[in-house]
Amino acid sequence: MLTINVFNGLVYGALLIVMCSGLALIYGLRRVVNFAHGSLYMLGAYLGYSIATYSSFWVALVAAPALMALLGICLDRFGFRLLQDRDPLTVVLVTFGLLMIIEDAVQTIWGKDNLSVPPPALLNASVDLFGTPVPAYRVGVMAIGLLVALGLTLWMRFSRAGLFVRAASTDPATTAMQGVNTDALSATVVGVGTALAGLAGVVAAPFLALSPSMSSDVLIDSFVVVVIGGLGSLSGAFVTALVLGLVQSVGAVYLPSASAILPFILMIAVLLWKPAGLAGSRT
Amino acid sequence: MTTSLSRIALSALIALLAGGAFVAFVGSATVVSLLTQAIIYAVFALGVGLLLRQNGLVSFGHAAFFGSAGYSVAVLLETQAVPAEAAIVLTLLGVTAVSFLLGLVFVRVPGIAFGMLTLAVGQMLFLTASRSRGLTGGADGMNINWPNTLFGVSTSALTEPHAMFALCWAALVLTMVALALLLRGRFGAITEAVRDNEERARFIGIRTLLPRAAVFALSGGVTALAGVLAALNTGFVSPENLHWSVSGVALMMVVVGGQGALWGPPLGAVVYFVLKDVLGGYADHWMAIFGAALIATIVFSPRGLVGALQRLVRRRAATPAVLPATPRGAVHH
Amino acid sequence: MTSLVLQARDVAIHYGGVKAVDGVDLTLEQGQIRGLIGPNGAGKSTVIDAITGRRKLTRGSIALQGEDVTTLGVERRRRRGLSRSFQRTSIFGQMPVRKQVVLASQQMAMAGAAQDADEILSELDLLALADTLAADLGYGQQRRLDLALALVGRPVVLLLDEPMAGLSVQESRDLANHLQALTERRGVSVLLVEHDMDVVFGISDAVTVFELGRVIASGTPAEVRSDARVRKAYLGSAA
Repeated sequence: MLTINVFNGLVYGALLIVMCSGLALIYGLRRVVNFAHGSLYMLGAYLGYSIATYSSFWVALVAAPALMALLGICLDRFGFRLLQDRDPLTVVLVTFGLLMIIEDAVQTIWGKDNLSVPPPALLNASVDLFGTPVPAYRVGVMAIGLLVALGLTLWMRFSRAGLFVRAASTDPATTAMQGVNTDALSATVVGVGTALAGLAGVVAAPFLALSPSMSSDVLIDSFVVVVIGGLGSLSGAFVTALVLGLVQSVGAVYLPSASAILPFILMIAVLLWKPAGLAGSRT
Repeated sequence: MTTSLSRIALSALIALLAGGAFVAFVGSATVVSLLTQAIIYAVFALGVGLLLRQNGLVSFGHAAFFGSAGYSVAVLLETQAVPAEAAIVLTLLGVTAVSFLLGLVFVRVPGIAFGMLTLAVGQMLFLTASRSRGLTGGADGMNINWPNTLFGVSTSALTEPHAMFALCWAALVLTMVALALLLRGRFGAITEAVRDNEERARFIGIRTLLPRAAVFALSGGVTALAGVLAALNTGFVSPENLHWSVSGVALMMVVVGGQGALWGPPLGAVVYFVLKDVLGGYADHWMAIFGAALIATIVFSPRGLVGALQRLVRRRAATPAVLPATPRGAVHH
Repeated sequence: MTSLVLQARDVAIHYGGVKAVDGVDLTLEQGQIRGLIGPNGAGKSTVIDAITGRRKLTRGSIALQGEDVTTLGVERRRRRGLSRSFQRTSIFGQMPVRKQVVLASQQMAMAGAAQDADEILSELDLLALADTLAADLGYGQQRRLDLALALVGRPVVLLLDEPMAGLSVQESRDLANHLQALTERRGVSVLLVEHDMDVVFGISDAVTVFELGRVIASGTPAEVRSDARVRKAYLGSAA
């Protein structure tokens, strides 16, 4: 019993890793807390559903995030970039408006019923984990989480773009002065961020139902992870995501009320103790 | 420009009379009910807007005050611990007191961190309410057993749509009057100074924590009033009243209405409800419309509808006069 | 011997390996104007921050009219009469001129706050702009407003951080005259940080010279001017 719960916790944690990296990247570069991130996740899931219905899940796995990346680039070009001189709270409210528009669009196009996406045939089986059978698909989700974490870490550490992202996150003005094209960089990062949200959606679809309310819960969990993990830190987000997944999954069985509330208490504690991570300049 | 006492009194009188006339002439219970909901949300938005205007703080968790006021009244009535009238007063005072204590800690948190903090607190309350079976009914919510008379008036007469509208309208107008009076005095000047330039405020001798916590408390209290009115209006409270999306909607009303004037947030609330229920064939897309309206407001008219209206009035006032205009400072809200 | 209204003893401010101020003694006598000069980065503004309570002391003490204020916060020091103006203008942009000056005066818990405010506004030629929003003022007018906020409420000690910054020669001279007249009339003691040497030597009763977080000379303007170390470090032989 415990094995299943731990396993499920890690699976959800892996999903959160994919979600939260996108959120953290967008915040790190643009100082925007993207309230629309949950609805982007939802959009990715529904797009994945449609694409999977017409061709296959694997195509959806690639195509949906790609489409979301395009959307992200537009969002950056016509949204964040144009509003970059405004108060960050203003941009946050804009993302809130965007959330409403996207949710409306999804409901209009796909309706309000719960939809389901079957896992791809290849992974529609059981795998043996320490004597307990677990769906192979969920193992696949964990693998994706791991790949994303690894990929991002390597990208940040070893690529020129990653270096510029880290530099621009700390000091956008100086980085721009160094001749780094911050606009192209920003488009890339936001594009990657929204693609990751979309990827999380596609990946989540086969094992969490598609419903109009799916965006809200995941969004809150993502905020919890990103705040506790430390807004600038991707590795912090990775670890916190897994821990949160475990706490929710294992805790739901053994300590239901406490496990639901504990993450928020931690989030509140972090915000009271060190609001500087969110409040503006990182000196 | 400090609004004169007589102007406030006059506006209040006109508003109350207008409300009375509306109630007398509009027969349709549906329309009146709808507008009652709008008015209740207007009070809610008033609370959120107060915090934004006087403290410069954006709260994503004000539904916590709205919902907990409802639950407080519900629980007090259910356990019959105190008479209903006392339950209302205790709830309002209690929520205000708690928000003052919370404010002492929370207002020190700046920027978007404050927003995230309030979001977390609100969600925490939502989850607690959703999961606690027993008295509060968990995710299903609980009915509120109002007694037969309230403050000497028959409850059923009070909750009749027209009477309810009149009550809520009066509550809105009187709350606005009370706030206007409070803010034109030294308290208002102090909180505006602190919001404008907190450091300099300290350097002219203002202790910045207490006034800001007081504004937070007021804002919580006003929102709690909306919660009590909602409890009376629907006779029901559920965890949905505590959800962050409710806080978010209230915030949108404040932004679209405009936080520059006290009547901005209420205006935003009315616009929201009009868009939501009255827009004929497009009613299904009110979310997208409101989201677009929010974005448009932020981009083109950051001061909201209030700002747009003020600009319109100023432009009319600036038509060429026969006599040379006397030099005066810039006009502001 | 006139009493000391302000006494800073062995003040040190260290942070992150930087010794911004390192063992500074500073005194101010009743009614005195003391100039504080030194190259950029010498620690002058930091000393003002320390005296007003904006920065915590690593070491040392501050006494106002004989009473220790080292542990008091910014607001309480101001209410006791320790006031400052800012190098980078710090005013309430969204408030009309008179409203904010009256507000500042009201914080000092003395009778006649409005009259006090009007007097200061009049002396600084701001009365005509009483209803103008601070954000709509010109730069020089904003500097005077910054000063007005510091001057109301009958402060005992006034710390001025480069009040002439960004002003033209004529404006500087006018402001210097205003300052001298005001301080004499109201008996305020002044600590003046300024780069404009003419102004400093023109109106100060005493001058303290800073370099690298320490005092390297202190005395009357004439004494300081002729001090060899000061000439070498700061003034050059042209002074």
